[in-house]
This record gives sequence, structure tokens and C-alpha cells, in this order.
Amino acid sequence: MPSHPARGAFRRATFLYSRFLDLLLVLTVAILIIPVSLQIFARFTEFLPRYIWTEEAARFLLVWMVMIGAMIGAREGTHFVVDLFPSLSPRKQAVLDLTSGVFVLIFGFIFLWYGIEFTQFAWFRISELAEWPLWLIHIAWPIAGFSWLIFTGERMWDSLQILRGREAG
Amino acid sequence: MGASTLSAAQASWILFGGFFGMLVLRVPISVAIGLACLPILLIEDRLWPMILVQETFNAYNSFILLAVPFFLLTANLMNAGGITDRLVRFSRALVGHFPGGLAQINVVLSIFFAGISGSSTADAASQSKLFIEAQRKEGYDDSFSVAITAVSAVLAVIIPPSILMIVWGGVLTVSIGALFLAGILPGLLIGFAQMGTVHVYAKLRNYPTYPRSTMREVFASFMVSIPALMTPFIIIGGKIFGWFTATESACIAVLYAGFLSVIVYRETDWRGLWNAFSETGKLSAITLFCVGTASAFGWLLAFYKIPEALMAGVGAWGMGPVLTGFFIAGVFLVVGCFLDAIPAIIIVGAILQPIAEGAGLHPVHFAMIGIVSLAFGLVTPPYGLCLLIACAVAEMRVIDALKDTCIMLIPMLCVLALLIVWPDMALLLPRLIEPDFLR
Repeated sequence: MPSHPARGAFRRATFLYSRFLDLLLVLTVAILIIPVSLQIFARFTEFLPRYIWTEEAARFLLVWMVMIGAMIGAREGTHFVVDLFPSLSPRKQAVLDLTSGVFVLIFGFIFLWYGIEFTQFAWFRISELAEWPLWLIHIAWPIAGFSWLIFTGERMWDSLQILRGREAG
Repeated sequence: MGASTLSAAQASWILFGGFFGMLVLRVPISVAIGLACLPILLIEDRLWPMILVQETFNAYNSFILLAVPFFLLTANLMNAGGITDRLVRFSRALVGHFPGGLAQINVVLSIFFAGISGSSTADAASQSKLFIEAQRKEGYDDSFSVAITAVSAVLAVIIPPSILMIVWGGVLTVSIGALFLAGILPGLLIGFAQMGTVHVYAKLRNYPTYPRSTMREVFASFMVSIPALMTPFIIIGGKIFGWFTATESACIAVLYAGFLSVIVYRETDWRGLWNAFSETGKLSAITLFCVGTASAFGWLLAFYKIPEALMAGVGAWGMGPVLTGFFIAGVFLVVGCFLDAIPAIIIVGAILQPIAEGAGLHPVHFAMIGIVSLAFGLVTPPYGLCLLIACAVAEMRVIDALKDTCIMLIPMLCVLALLIVWPDMALLLPRLIEPDFLR
């Protein structure tokens, strides 16, 4: 029940964004198989070309897969935690979630801030084997940092609502 | 190299204090490891936070780690495509008539599964869904069901193929082919130890059993399972004959499982395939994300030479190979309680390697002690991933499953002790089949 139109639009936007990430993640995993298979079978057959870029392509796809999956993990709250206090009241739970959320926000900010610098670093560089522009991979860090900030912010907002005695909207 | 701003002692206080402090506050483990590095990166003159970004990038940009999504995908395809169902039928025909039939099937299926996929988390996730509810219905205690599902899942990284062996071989330059062969005996022994444990439990608590299958059913279920049972031979054989590398073998496992699911058994639909890929991406990304921040942590430990300082005295204790073996197992068991196995190999494996070498342990023997100990760490809290997953599926608290898990660990620890005092448990098969691997 979005009480505020702007907030409702924000929720819709994050939801659509997360669906988009889901789609990208599935594609990344599916495509990941191709370069590695090419690499294996090219060794045994004549008609498959022995591309030099297969190994690099697989590594870069893995980088993107990890970063996209980690963004989705931040939204779904599935990053593993060590649970020392198993059952708490919802309010205490919300306090704890807010505290740990602050740390996650700092982490997301580091990825965003230094990720931008990291991307600028790679602006004119190309990869060793395939000679692709490197910023295409480095840019995953600022994007991940940004997504962590949004998704964590959204989760912390929900906790705040519980703390103020309302159900999450 | 000039002196650093912080001393090694100060740096380790910040790193470990920050890490454990944040763990208590329930900060996600990957974030806690990464943020623990931050104060040092800000304080130290010659370092800056960009190192955190750079080191995570270096960690993910690795061909070895591809094995993680591939083995998870193999497992998910097996479940979606009916391979698992056929293996369950065969396991049931084999051991269903033992006391505690369903729990025995749980263990035997884990053994088969371990030979196909190299991921324990995948095993725990899929078998929890398969067995916990079913065992509940047949009157097994919840904590027993969760515990046996979790402890049998660790077999996946001990019996080849195994993600841990691929990472260990890649990080510490040991022949992965040798590790694959070395894992077979310890893995099977641990599996048998678990079946023995189930037997005792079932006798004491009167768990149900199934009627004995006819020879005809054993044969029929074996026949339909043959294509699936071929997988370990394809993967391990291909690695040993040098047809493909260890990481590529994981890709072969995916292709074969996909071939069986889509073309031979034809039980997958698009929805199932989509879910298999999506689940794979999510779970492997979360596990691997930890590896990245742990690498940054390990980098800082190395920067301050903290491992050397910690282990400086150990070499001088003059322990023989057996005592060193127990020491190594102890360190990995403790570390495994707090860290995932892959980061633990990256951080701790490299520290212990010179000690093992000094005591005259064979690198493959050392690797097996490490891998088995770390595999046990998958079910020891607070950070025991398989136990966490099984508990999450069963919707119960980890603490409530702890007692049975600890009881089941005892026979498994006995096998580990045997592995330490009898190196041939690991070295026998590689020596017989491919002596070149041992150099």
C-alpha cells in the first residue's frame, strides 16, 4: 500500500530494475558455457576455430555474473550472515537490521566511489587477449555499489517502518 | 620498502576485531570481511581503498572459479531433468531395506551426487528439499533429518570432482588429477561411516524401513541410471587422460547433465531450465562474492606478514608428520567454523603449506587433510553453509540441529584421524593409477 505516489514509483522502479538484473543473470550463466565449450571442442575438431579470446571471455562473464548476482543478493537479503541471536522480536530484529544496514551502505558507497575511479583508470585500456575495452568490466563495480545503495536503502526503509510501529508498505 | 604506519599487531587487531565485531552485528560475512580492511586502507600511507576494488576484481577474474557456477548448474540441471529421480530410485533399490531406509538413501544419493557435481552447497540445497519433508512424514526427528542431510552433503567436495580440489590445486599448485583420485577412498569411507551412524540411530529410535527390492528392480533401476552413473568416469577420466583441464571438466559436467536432461530423459521444460540458471547465478554469485573480499583481507594479511608472525613458532616445535597433520586439521577445522572453504584455502592454505612441507607431508596428503577438514567446516556453526541451508529449508534454528550434527561428526572425525595417520588412504589410488601425478 504505497501511501506516497513518489515512493510507489520508486518501488516500481527498483522492482523493474531487479527483474532486469534477473534476466541479465540468467543470460550471463547461459552464455558462460559457450566460450568454455568452444575452447574444449576446438581442441579435438578441425572445423571449430581455435579462438584466443575464449578464456578471457569466460573470465569476464564470470566477473559480471558475480557482480550482478551480488546486487540481486543485496535486494533479496540472501548474503550469508552468522546468526548469533536466532529468535528476536520484530522490533529488535529491525534495530539489528538497521545497524547492519549502515555497514552495508558504507560498503556500497566504497564500491561506488572508488569504482568510478577504477573505471576511469581503465578508460583507455584494452584487455590482453581479445583487446576489448577494459572499462566494460570495471564499470560493474560502480554499478554494483549504486545498486547496493538503492536496494539496501529500500530494505532499511522497511525496517524503519517496523520500528515506527507500522507494517512495511 | 619503508616501514609501515601500523605494526603487524595493530593491523591484525583492526582486521580481526573489525571482522568479528561486524559478524556479531549480523553484517553479511562478505561485507564484514571487506569493511574490516577499510580502516587500514585509510590509515596506512601507502594504501588506499581502491585496493579493495582492485583485489576483488583480481579474485573474480579467474578461470579456476568458473568451476563454482558450473558445478552448481550441473546439480540444478540434474534435479530439473529427472537425473536425480532416477538416482533416488536406484539408491532405494540398493539400501532402502536397511534400518532407517530413507536416511540411508539420503546418504547414498549424496555419494552418487558427489561423483557428478563438486558442490556441497548444491547438494545441501537440493537434498534438503527432497528429503527433509519426506523424512518428517515418515516419523524421523527433525533435527536428525536436517543433520544427516547436511553432513552427507559435505561428501560432494571430498569425492571427486570437487570445487575445493580445483581451487586448492590452482592456488597451491598441486596436481588436480592426483587430488581427484586421492579423494575417492576418504570420501567413500566417510560415506560408509555416515551409513553406520544412520544404522545405529535407526536401531535406537526405531526408524522405518522399506521392503527389500527384488533383484529385478535393482537391475532395472541400475539400467535407467547408467547414463547418470557414467558422469564421474567421463569427468575424472577426461581429467586424468588430459582431454580437458579441471575447470573445463566442470563445463563438461554441465553439458552432459544438460544432454541427459533435455535429450535423453526429456523431463525439463523452459520454466525448469530458467530456474536452474537463475538459482545457479544467485547462489554462486553470493558464494563467490565472499571470495573476493576475503582475497582483499588475505592480501592485507600478507602485506603485514601476519601469517608468518603467527606461524613463526610452529616450525620450531619440531612436530613429526602425524602431529603436524593433526595440527593442520585443527587449524582448518577452527577456520572452517568462521570462513567459507574457498577463502580459507586462499588465506590459510598458503600459510600452512611451508609447515606441512617442513614436516615432510606429501603435498597431496596435506591437501586431502585440508580439504576434508574444511569440508567438515561446512556443517560447523556459526558459518556452516550446508547446515544453514538445511535448517533454512526445514525452517528450524541451527541450535536445535546442533546436537545430532555433532554426534554424526564423531565417526567422520575418526575417518579424518585415520587419514592423518595412514597417508595411503589418500595416496594409494593416485600411486596405483597414475604415479606421475605424485612426481
